[in-house]
Amino acid sequence: MNSFADRFSTTGTAVEQRRIKEYVADEEDVSDSMWGSEAGFGTIAHGTPNFMVPTVPDPSAFLRLHTDDHADPSCRIKIKHGTTTLAFRYQGGVIVAVDSRATAGSYVASGTVKKVIEINPYLLGTMAGGAADCQYWETYLGMQCRLHELRNRERISVAAASKYLSNLVYNYKGMGLSMGTMICGWDKTGPAIFYVDSDGTRLKGDLFSVGSGSTFAYGVLDQGYRWDLTDEEAQELGRRGIYAAGHRDAFSGNTINLYHVQQQGWKFIGNYDVSEMHYNGPTGTAGYGYGVRVEGRSSANPPA
Amino acid sequence: MPDGSYERPQQRQFNPYSENGGTILAIAGADFSVIAGDTRQSEGYSIQTRYAPKVFRLTERAVLAVNGFAADGNMFVKKVKQRLEWYRHAHAKDMPLRAIARLIQTMLYAQRFFPYYVYNILGGIEEDGTGAVYSFDPVGSYEREACRAAGAAQSLVQPFLDNQIYFKNQTPAPGTNHPTHLPLPDVLSIVIDSFTSATERHIEVGDGLEIYVVLAKGRSTQELASIGGLQELSTRAEGDRMFVIRRDLKKD
Amino acid sequence: MSIMQYNGGSVIAMVGKDCVAIASDLRLGNQSLGISSNFEKIFAMTERTYVGLPGLATDVTTLHEQLRYRLNMYTIKEERTMEPETFIHLVSSTLYEKRWGPYFIEPVLAGMQKTPSGAFRPFVASTDLIGCINFAKDFVVAGTASEKLFGVAEGLWEPDLEPEDLFETISQTLLNAVDRDAYSGWGAVVHVITKDKVVKRTLKGRMD
Repeated sequence: MNSFADRFSTTGTAVEQRRIKEYVADEEDVSDSMWGSEAGFGTIAHGTPNFMVPTVPDPSAFLRLHTDDHADPSCRIKIKHGTTTLAFRYQGGVIVAVDSRATAGSYVASGTVKKVIEINPYLLGTMAGGAADCQYWETYLGMQCRLHELRNRERISVAAASKYLSNLVYNYKGMGLSMGTMICGWDKTGPAIFYVDSDGTRLKGDLFSVGSGSTFAYGVLDQGYRWDLTDEEAQELGRRGIYAAGHRDAFSGNTINLYHVQQQGWKFIGNYDVSEMHYNGPTGTAGYGYGVRVEGRSSANPPA
Repeated sequence: MPDGSYERPQQRQFNPYSENGGTILAIAGADFSVIAGDTRQSEGYSIQTRYAPKVFRLTERAVLAVNGFAADGNMFVKKVKQRLEWYRHAHAKDMPLRAIARLIQTMLYAQRFFPYYVYNILGGIEEDGTGAVYSFDPVGSYEREACRAAGAAQSLVQPFLDNQIYFKNQTPAPGTNHPTHLPLPDVLSIVIDSFTSATERHIEVGDGLEIYVVLAKGRSTQELASIGGLQELSTRAEGDRMFVIRRDLKKD
Repeated sequence: MSIMQYNGGSVIAMVGKDCVAIASDLRLGNQSLGISSNFEKIFAMTERTYVGLPGLATDVTTLHEQLRYRLNMYTIKEERTMEPETFIHLVSSTLYEKRWGPYFIEPVLAGMQKTPSGAFRPFVASTDLIGCINFAKDFVVAGTASEKLFGVAEGLWEPDLEPEDLFETISQTLLNAVDRDAYSGWGAVVHVITKDKVVKRTLKGRMD
């Protein structure tokens, strides 16, 4: 794996190699694999893909200057933010629930984002932070997991897959990647969740929530979580957690995507509209919102 | 300084980006796809040109609209076209739409640490004959959608589209349902209305409008017969057909 | 982050045929955290003059009280109700008094203006936070969703809408605009004002 430290070092063999490469080839990153049957992701045959880096003394400062809308709201390239994702382990497997909103500043850029990335039939990854970072690297992880299967005649463990991802992003630490993801799946050891982020953190655990609305989701999860939840109860808890975040957090909402991971792989349970959950609930009989329950009885809305 | 005052410390930085305004928009139908963009190119309050296309034909059934920094956009389209030509040489066929979408993701992500400042919308016909729209962020995250507006006036146009295309906040009459896909004439008039509205309220939008229409193989072209400013771009009458409609927008 | 976006909220007013409408969302937030879904920003100043005050919530209350006080003083001294066109100038001068330390509010006004003949004509206007008046013939918008409101209103609005059609138009405009704004929403309220009555309706909006 090519290390970024090598690419920016000013001494050593890496520099010599770079100089030779620059002398021999032109400055374009055009390889033979870009055309022919290997086009696109075929480049993995040559290790991790190469990235064009601006020729400035501090490339990551350059990137931060132009893309980070927290540091500088006037910057041009808006990276989408805001999310609530959650996953928990219980007696019947793993529940994964996410919202579907993407915001750029105060603008709701999309309400239909797929924040659960289906890495393969046994592995799910969730998306928080940079949408492209999560989508790209988790797709890439899916390819590596498949190669692992072909090489070892057995499925990769959740621990190994998540470690592959965390090692991968650790190579780019400080370069500006932004991802907070939960790798969820079922392997020989049973259901498993690993939290992996772009700082290089990798944690094994039973219950996680990531994103701007995570505190609201944790509030619901901590209240209702038990190991011996039934499948129905667990799905309801996941849905209710994302609803709470979608309701209170301005940067989360629109719809809920719910997945259930069991021994035979993951299953998509459904897509639920947050507003529909507020007024009518999943069965159409009882909404999650308390507005209807206090109608005409609260101090703000006294009886007629 | 000679007058005794101190010179302020100065800082310089490398800024390779600019913003050239304009808006793009794409809507997918059941068996067609419409991709549109205005033709004004501006920098700040100045108009650089009243005709700079932002929508490009990639293959017989794929159209790419680019918005943001024009220099990056044009370079990106050039490189996508190059990769599609290499694919044609290697495989003796056009790259399918969903593959073009993935190609665009990898090409954008290759520039993750020095991004193209470009918002892309890809429209066209899938291998199964359905109309499709893919939208991208500058570093390659993408999603297939039914409609998407991007660029300077995206926040003006997108909520209008939510209302008119997805029927958001509208309740269908009892016993009826909202159509899942709109007919072509409806889509075209919504596109034109969107751009006239955006032109009215946004200074960076105007001058001209280019609407690309891709029709799935075997689909009737009847609905386009009465449209003014229509030009056919397809090279073969069988297979998918592509048209462009050119309209004027207000120039003030 | 701008102080104008601290609490969120948006208002729109539209002209119809012998009627006007003014509508707002009901959200009060603390940046991304939603606090209340019952925060009304539209106030009845006279029987046919309504003002919407989107912006910083603390100033919504203060400015409303300030305007009410000045309006009452006018009513007592002049022994007549204030017309909308007069009222927008009162709003303007009240805001300009604080030119160097403004209220963070962009008022929107809708009302029925009495003409010399004794008939009524629809009137809408808005100002910026230091009181520059915008007399529009069609519609005015303000708040965190103003761009989105402009876009939808420009597409949906047409001249001479009857009260019921104007209600539908302003409601659709507001609901669809605030759904694309993170800081607005959480329910909405619409007032349709005609020369002899005002109809107020609360809309069921998205709660996320």
